Amino acid sequence: MISLEKVNYNYFDTIPALSNVSLEVAQGERFAVIGANGTGKTTILQMMNGLIHPSSGKIFFRGYEISKQTLKDRGFLRFFRERVGFVFQDSDVQLFCPTVLDDLLYGPLQLDLNEGEALDRASEIMTMLKIEHLRDRPTYMLSGGEKKKVAIGSVLTMNPEVLLLDEPTNGLDPKTQCFLVELMLALNEAGKTLVIATHDLSLVDELQATVGVVSEEHRIEKIGTAAQILKDEELLLRVNLIHEHIHRHGNVAHRHIHSHYLFHRHEG
Amino acid sequence: MQELTRDRIPLFLTRNVPPSIAPEFKGRGLKVPALEKGIRHVAGMIKTNYAQWESASKKGLFQKTDPRIKILFLVFFIIIVSLKREVESEVLIGMLIFILAWLSRLEIYSFYKRIFVLGFLFGFLVSLPSSFNLVAKGEIIFPLLSFSGPYEFWIYRIPADIGITKEGLYGVAMLTLRVMNSVSLVFLVLHTTSFADIMKTLKIMKIPDALLITASLSYKYFFLFARTVEDMHLAKKSRQIRESRPAEARRWVAGRIAMIFGKTQKRSEEIFRAMLSRGFSNAVQIYGFKKLRGWDLGIGLALCSAGVLLLWI
Repeated sequence: MISLEKVNYNYFDTIPALSNVSLEVAQGERFAVIGANGTGKTTILQMMNGLIHPSSGKIFFRGYEISKQTLKDRGFLRFFRERVGFVFQDSDVQLFCPTVLDDLLYGPLQLDLNEGEALDRASEIMTMLKIEHLRDRPTYMLSGGEKKKVAIGSVLTMNPEVLLLDEPTNGLDPKTQCFLVELMLALNEAGKTLVIATHDLSLVDELQATVGVVSEEHRIEKIGTAAQILKDEELLLRVNLIHEHIHRHGNVAHRHIHSHYLFHRHEG
Repeated sequence: MQELTRDRIPLFLTRNVPPSIAPEFKGRGLKVPALEKGIRHVAGMIKTNYAQWESASKKGLFQKTDPRIKILFLVFFIIIVSLKREVESEVLIGMLIFILAWLSRLEIYSFYKRIFVLGFLFGFLVSLPSSFNLVAKGEIIFPLLSFSGPYEFWIYRIPADIGITKEGLYGVAMLTLRVMNSVSLVFLVLHTTSFADIMKTLKIMKIPDALLITASLSYKYFFLFARTVEDMHLAKKSRQIRESRPAEARRWVAGRIAMIFGKTQKRSEEIFRAMLSRGFSNAVQIYGFKKLRGWDLGIGLALCSAGVLLLWI
């Protein structure tokens, strides 16, 4: 459905952000791009959404190339934007309308849906996300978790086939995190393709996603199932997603590989 | 919490578009309103700053020189540029700046591109009317219009022959060269000195701390601001399918300004608290400022001699 072929990208035309990245996301797949901070996960997602374009290499959506040139065509732009939605890491930049309802209606109205249908969609999304009470509230008066729900809702009202989610659970409380995981699984079950950028290994485990691991050299180190990747301690150590850690239990000091979820296992 | 399952997903979300539907290419693009283009340009300033930071890290003549010498050079030469009254002297100063920029390994094309634009806007265009004999008398070298006789209108007098005068052109050339030389002197120092070094030098030169703190925080905030603006632009782009009407674009910009204002206020309070918690006491403390080396004194002496020579000729 989405494929990247030998993609390279440099910030300011000099600092490398992606190096020879090739990957493919199939329809209906749950795909997680994982890597330490600054490896280029967000850049990959922004490229998949045609927001930035590679210095070299190609990106395809359903076999059509996504480039500055093809997105200049308003027919193709509509085809692409109504099918691929992007949830930004910082919800503040994504919510740009006066109220929650306005933000939910922005996408459907862009798609030229009539007002009644757009309102129906917004209302159904609010019920699903349990944010009906926030309907007329300005988005700057929401908590972090509420903002994230509205940001996801503002993309869902466009009913995209592919959802690109940049660090969706970052900075959220456990209850909201749990809600989002359930939501992602339900959306995937409803036929949506999910692509997630994260460094949260527990999220990868919960979603049982196909995983592309990005190294600090901005390359794809390995692509595999969640089970294969999460088992590969050597790989996760190399890409700095887990680390060696010393701590004490009473008078005894332990050294072990540590992750906040999976690898808290003592060896002696 | 009730579990969220597929049956609680709205029906419209389960209606996916069949993959066989192909895009309808229309061969026309979206028009971007001028307001949004402006926002995109704000975001482009991060790149400009990066280019500046990169050029300040090169190993060129001015990069190796102590910032104190460069700041004194800047002040001294700006005074010279303002004092000189001959086009030839301004050209000589311009040549000296060009040589210094070249020895400092700056990218000459991008360096002079902005200088020429600013020189044209704030030098040439501003002073152009003074080249006509309508503004100041002089010897006409390019006649443009001729009337049967002069006209008197209130306190104004329109001469019979209107044209560009020799004295006027000389004035336009002088002002344009002065603007270009002043701007290129500032750019030369900015492109070869890191912001931190400029601040340290200003502190040594007894510029009040309040001004330095304001300048330093504003500089840092400016780039945070540019990044936020860039992200906002991308967020809008990701959901934009049709052209924004000018009124829509204005509403969007107004909403974003309000959001940035709110964020700025919150951030400024947080930064001030962070400064207080780390012992801020209304004073700027500097460290690691080295003594002037022989190289710095040599460059300083050479630049000073060049300045005195330019003042003398």
